[in-house]
Amino acid sequence: MCLLTGAGGTLGAAFCHAFAAEYDIVAVCRRRRPDIPSQHESYVDPLAPQTQLPDNDARVFTVIADLEQPGQVERVVELALARFGRVDLLVNNAAYLGLHPHGMIDGDAALRDFDRHFAVNVGIPLRLAVRLGQEFWMHRDQDNRTHNRNVVNVSSLSGARVYPNQGQSVYAASKAALNHLTRHLAAEFGVFGVRVNGLAPNSFPAIISTESVAEGITRLDRDDVTGRILALEGPGEPH
Amino acid sequence: MSTLEELIANRRWVRRDEPFPHVVAQNVFVPEFYTQLDDEFRRIARERPEAFLRSMAGYDASAAELAHFRDGPLGVFVSRDWHDLVSAVAGVAATGDVSGSLHHHDPGSATGWPHSDLNPGWFAEAAPDAHEVALPHDEIEYRRGPRLPGVTARETIRAVSVLFYLANPEWSPGDGGETGLFADFDTARLGPRATVAPINNSLMIFECTPFSLHAFQSNRLKARNSVIIWLHRAKDDAIARWGEQSIVNW
Repeated sequence: MCLLTGAGGTLGAAFCHAFAAEYDIVAVCRRRRPDIPSQHESYVDPLAPQTQLPDNDARVFTVIADLEQPGQVERVVELALARFGRVDLLVNNAAYLGLHPHGMIDGDAALRDFDRHFAVNVGIPLRLAVRLGQEFWMHRDQDNRTHNRNVVNVSSLSGARVYPNQGQSVYAASKAALNHLTRHLAAEFGVFGVRVNGLAPNSFPAIISTESVAEGITRLDRDDVTGRILALEGPGEPH
Repeated sequence: MSTLEELIANRRWVRRDEPFPHVVAQNVFVPEFYTQLDDEFRRIARERPEAFLRSMAGYDASAAELAHFRDGPLGVFVSRDWHDLVSAVAGVAATGDVSGSLHHHDPGSATGWPHSDLNPGWFAEAAPDAHEVALPHDEIEYRRGPRLPGVTARETIRAVSVLFYLANPEWSPGDGGETGLFADFDTARLGPRATVAPINNSLMIFECTPFSLHAFQSNRLKARNSVIIWLHRAKDDAIARWGEQSIVNW
């Protein structure tokens, strides 16, 4: 069972499309929903509308939530546990990206955007992991190890590198913070058997395919590593 | 004309529950047939501009009667097969009465007001049999029913709306021109709960109920074109379902 944030975005929707048959997915969306069967959405054959379609067997459970608002992370955790009784994989995929192409010195834009970058890209992953830890994982260490429970934080290569003149400074700093938060969470959550890793892809879908990033998430889920930041440079070139 | 089995390309239309039940689909028709529909709409707009009338009160659009162009590819939308397909997809028992129009919004058209489409439609007294459709009668005013002496008429209520988008410039987020869907009038002022983009060869279908609130969203730079088709139900049926006060008279 997978709790996925940012499910309506490019990567979230691709993950749902590729793995809805494999995972029970709680798809958390702020506004856009993934274009996939859910409790609110199903396929119909226009020429045989009464026919039961196998495509509808793999449905995601969609939750609309603005995780920046007070209480929404807790609501999502409660709904996921109420619906499926467990969370085996938390994918912190929701992100905020504000670019400042004229540099940090250009007026107050970078300063204005700072809080939101860190709130969405660091604060929400932390809060989700902490609440899941408190509500479900911390007293189930054997069960967690049996089910290989883990967290995947979707980061970016920008969190470890400087790409000059692209206006990514504040975004990149938030992803760097997420990377280090990932390492610390791994150290602490290991006590109760939950692994925590990060995925740092290159730009998708421009340089690396979205599908390969989605596969990167499942690779970390099936692995036994913890505290790692898996970089995806390009097609088939993990580092 | 080919059968719908031959014309329809996408066999996975998407049924959505929110903010009210509706069905959406892209790549509806096979490319060859979609091109015919697209060409025909553009030809009519180019050669018959006088057919497009600004007759929708408070709505920043012009419309041409679909029934006048049924002899070309657009006739698929007033065929009995299409009526029955839409009726079955919407899960509504319709009467065989079909009305429709070609809609055009100039670039910069104003956002429309939320409305349900649960409106009357008047047709000839004789109802169509199970293998044909009835179109609006030249001697009966469709919306309110006044007619020439000696002509008898029958009042129905719109049952299902179909919006098919065609002959539009390539659409991108931010262009506007979507169909906005609303949960209620109270929150409509905050904007639509969901939107359907005017992507060529795509459609939206919904049952007309007191709650099927929708409205055109302003198009900033690009024209928006569509074909709108309505199926109808008996007035008694609509009254039994939602009460007479729910019917929005013109």
